[in-house]
Amino acid sequence: MRALAAEAWKLASLPTVWIATAVGVLVPSVIAGITASATLGAITRGAGTVPGVDTGYQELAFGVVGAIILGVVGISSEYFTESEESGGGRQITTSLTVVPSRLRFLLTKISAIAIAAALLAIIAAATTMGVVRVVLGAHALTLGADDVPRLVGVVCYWVYTALLAFGITVLTRHGVIPLAVLIANTSVVTVTYLLTKITPLANYLPDMAGVRMFIRKLADNTVEISPLTGGLVMTAWVAVLLVIAAIAFTRRDA
Amino acid sequence: MTAFPAPATRARGPEAAQALAAELSKLVSLPATWLTLGGTLVVNLILAMAFTIAGLHGSTGTKSATDIGLASISYAQAGFVILGVLAACSEYTGGQIRTTLIAMPRRALQLTAKHLTLAIVVLPAAAITAASGVALAAGVLGDTATPVTSGHVAAALSGVTAYLALTTLISASVGALVRQTLAAVVIVLGYFFIAGPLLRDHTPAAKYLPDSAGFAMWFPVADNASAVTPAQGALLLMAWTTGLIVVVMLLYRRRDT
Repeated sequence: MRALAAEAWKLASLPTVWIATAVGVLVPSVIAGITASATLGAITRGAGTVPGVDTGYQELAFGVVGAIILGVVGISSEYFTESEESGGGRQITTSLTVVPSRLRFLLTKISAIAIAAALLAIIAAATTMGVVRVVLGAHALTLGADDVPRLVGVVCYWVYTALLAFGITVLTRHGVIPLAVLIANTSVVTVTYLLTKITPLANYLPDMAGVRMFIRKLADNTVEISPLTGGLVMTAWVAVLLVIAAIAFTRRDA
Repeated sequence: MTAFPAPATRARGPEAAQALAAELSKLVSLPATWLTLGGTLVVNLILAMAFTIAGLHGSTGTKSATDIGLASISYAQAGFVILGVLAACSEYTGGQIRTTLIAMPRRALQLTAKHLTLAIVVLPAAAITAASGVALAAGVLGDTATPVTSGHVAAALSGVTAYLALTTLISASVGALVRQTLAAVVIVLGYFFIAGPLLRDHTPAAKYLPDSAGFAMWFPVADNASAVTPAQGALLLMAWTTGLIVVVMLLYRRRDT
């Protein structure tokens, strides 16, 4: 428990984590605001469109970049080498002196990042849905019982993505490559989405499967995966990656 | 009483040449430079292969080997962003920047030399990366590809090369401004991959922003009168890059290291 508090404190004192928070909350809510006002414009012009079933959720799929940054810097900061004037040390040596069990250290770290990502997702989802509601006013689709599992899906997706980023960074020990790969894959047309054009198997890649938890209409995609299956597929990916990361972490030199 | 010798001053010309040589030596001796460029080339070839296979299935909407071979560049540019940021931020891991500035006290000259060196290294690398993707697409598509004139290919390739070089320079100046590798990478990639594309979809004025203007240099855009032409795109992106470098240079001269 004290180890968890220490990990939470470490996360909270990293400036990049606060950048991640700002990105995670601002990106989806600002985009949702822009999209919703465009929809409202179309409605008032009499173009007669109703907001799509994925209004807000679509934007939350981009906001996951905040969770990615969180997962990456959560562990890459441990491996950051201080400048020579301050001794050239790394935080990981101190951390492992204090918590000598590698597995326990990694589990606490995973818990801290999962909790932080879940909090971030809840705040981001609440802000984004709030912005959509305020902008669209009476035209907004009412949040009903259907939305509860979808919002839970958003939180799951963010937590899993943060853990994926975390797992990759445990293996690379440096944040740049995982950040570049994962941010590039959060763009409007993702690499994994393009892969689904080549093979339908790509629909089972972690992000393509994971978004099914809350996105109902994927553009130009005919493969149907139920939200539950999507969630389970992503869970499997995360579990496998974290096991590999744990094995590597417990066996390698720090 | 001792007479102090007059401090030796270096002539501008040789000083600039020496600064350029020093920055070049630093850049080519960073393993990260070659790893990034090599990794980008490999990733670009893999993505180009994927796009080509999609093209064979007819799901790309175009049959031109140039367009298909260059489609992967919009992802592979991440490698060039990393290179630019690393070139600037490697000075700040450890205290190399202090050694650098003792050797080259004229900060404007040093920063100019750094950006110039980066351009010298990146231009051939970008040309090779872009050309290899197009060659791969042309080779695999063979006769099924839409025939294009060599002038069109040359224009697209030179546009891509210039775009990647300018993107690298933009990344380097953001790196010099932020001084932290991860933060700079997050800012630049977040702009190019998330904020930029989304703004492009929603606001018409976004076509004058660096990423969209740069895209116009090589990416086929819809024919309409208000679209940015490749030449205008190049000018806009050059203006953005120069402006950013000037701002960074002004701050760089005044800030502590």
